[in-house]
Amino acid sequence: MQGKLALIKRQRVIQKIRQFFEQQAVLEVQTPTLLNIPTSDVYIDSISLSVNADIGMQSTQYLHTSPELEMKKLLANESGDIYQICQVFRDNEKGECNSNEFTLLEYYRLGFDIHQLMADIVNLLQELGIQDKVQQLSYAQVFNQYANIDILNTDFDALKIIASKLGLSTDFAWIEELQMLLFVHLIEPKLKNLPLCFIYDYPKSQSALAKVEYQVAHRFELYLNGVEVANGYDELQTKGEYQQVFTREIAKRKQLGRPVPQIDTPFLSKLSQPLPQCAGVAIGVSRLLAQIS
Amino acid sequence: MANYSTNQFKNGLKLMLDGNPCSIVNNEIVKPGKGQAFNRVKFKDLITGKTLIKTFKSSESLEGADVMELDLQYLYNDGSAWNFMDPDSFEQYAVDGTYMSDAKGYLVEQDMCTVTLWNDNPISVTPPNHVILEVLDTDPGLKGDTAGTGGKPATMNTGVVVQVPLFVSIGDKVKVDTRTNEYAGRA
Repeated sequence: MQGKLALIKRQRVIQKIRQFFEQQAVLEVQTPTLLNIPTSDVYIDSISLSVNADIGMQSTQYLHTSPELEMKKLLANESGDIYQICQVFRDNEKGECNSNEFTLLEYYRLGFDIHQLMADIVNLLQELGIQDKVQQLSYAQVFNQYANIDILNTDFDALKIIASKLGLSTDFAWIEELQMLLFVHLIEPKLKNLPLCFIYDYPKSQSALAKVEYQVAHRFELYLNGVEVANGYDELQTKGEYQQVFTREIAKRKQLGRPVPQIDTPFLSKLSQPLPQCAGVAIGVSRLLAQIS
Repeated sequence: MANYSTNQFKNGLKLMLDGNPCSIVNNEIVKPGKGQAFNRVKFKDLITGKTLIKTFKSSESLEGADVMELDLQYLYNDGSAWNFMDPDSFEQYAVDGTYMSDAKGYLVEQDMCTVTLWNDNPISVTPPNHVILEVLDTDPGLKGDTAGTGGKPATMNTGVVVQVPLFVSIGDKVKVDTRTNEYAGRA
């Protein structure tokens, strides 16, 4: 019975998510799971598989780690607002809160900035029964408030001094790794006391695929009781910007001695027209379900 | 000692941290969506008894601590050291007073205790969960009060002071929970 109740709860939540998007005329899409090129994300590993060996056409394919780029191909092709609920696969992720396969809700809203998208997510969470007080803190604010560190104006060497005073490793190649270590060590445990909290405007060193303005990247993460549930961006638009990010990520993977993917030229070739201005977010559905009673 | 990488971390593993032997109490893997994996680890320092939290990047490694736990019988206190014996090998261990901390108040001759050794030297003693102690001094109780609603301090033969029910008198033997320093019944 316990098993069935969990299935019913899951089905109801998914149904409500679909209703939420239908009411706003956001189109549901399904993009390929099996890709020719693995992700270039520095810290995410694709799971590879060999296909078609017995028919003499062996090739290596990769399970998608997120539907992001495939959905952006649709956006570049004038899809308008879209969402997708799908299974994604990541190698080398196993733990209490992580697994090699999980369900992601990914959606893109045209003309939104991250603040509009965060407000939209709050509406969605309310539909799903999460009514907690919403807190929004910038990355700089949380570091200032919980650790008394001016994170945007503290350079790599100064962060190393802070880490070593805390007895933590300083053996990192780039400043963002040290920022993340300090976030995990000093900030994340404090977020456990906040039921619903958005952290936004990350240091530009952690821009990923988000737009950068001065010192910050317009990115946000959603934490529910200290668990990271969503990650959203004000999305980069031009081919040149994506090419720059992919090239940088690939170089970093090389430096870390991790498998080096080829650059995703098929994706870049779809961006001859830039993406429309939009904000997008990936929400971990299993983690979200765990927060809904 | 061998080194242990974060992917070998598990509860109870003994590692060297800042020069002290520590035991892992909790090991949490944190993998940010966009970022590398970390292990947030709660340790107990086996010398100071304090807990501390450290965060490691995955693949970092720490030196193992040569820590052993032995079940030893408490023999006697010779004024400077507490002496224990392995009942199988009859080997004796003298534990210096500085490592006894709270355990002193619960040592009863012949009781079996857990003695932690680091590099073959005792660093801590854990008495049994319950010990039988004799009341050396306490205020006279109210006769007939067996409900045990109130309480009063009583000094035991080992020197420790335990809150006991009013009916307990000098010379009584009582059972004490060593983890909480609470009265756990008449012996």
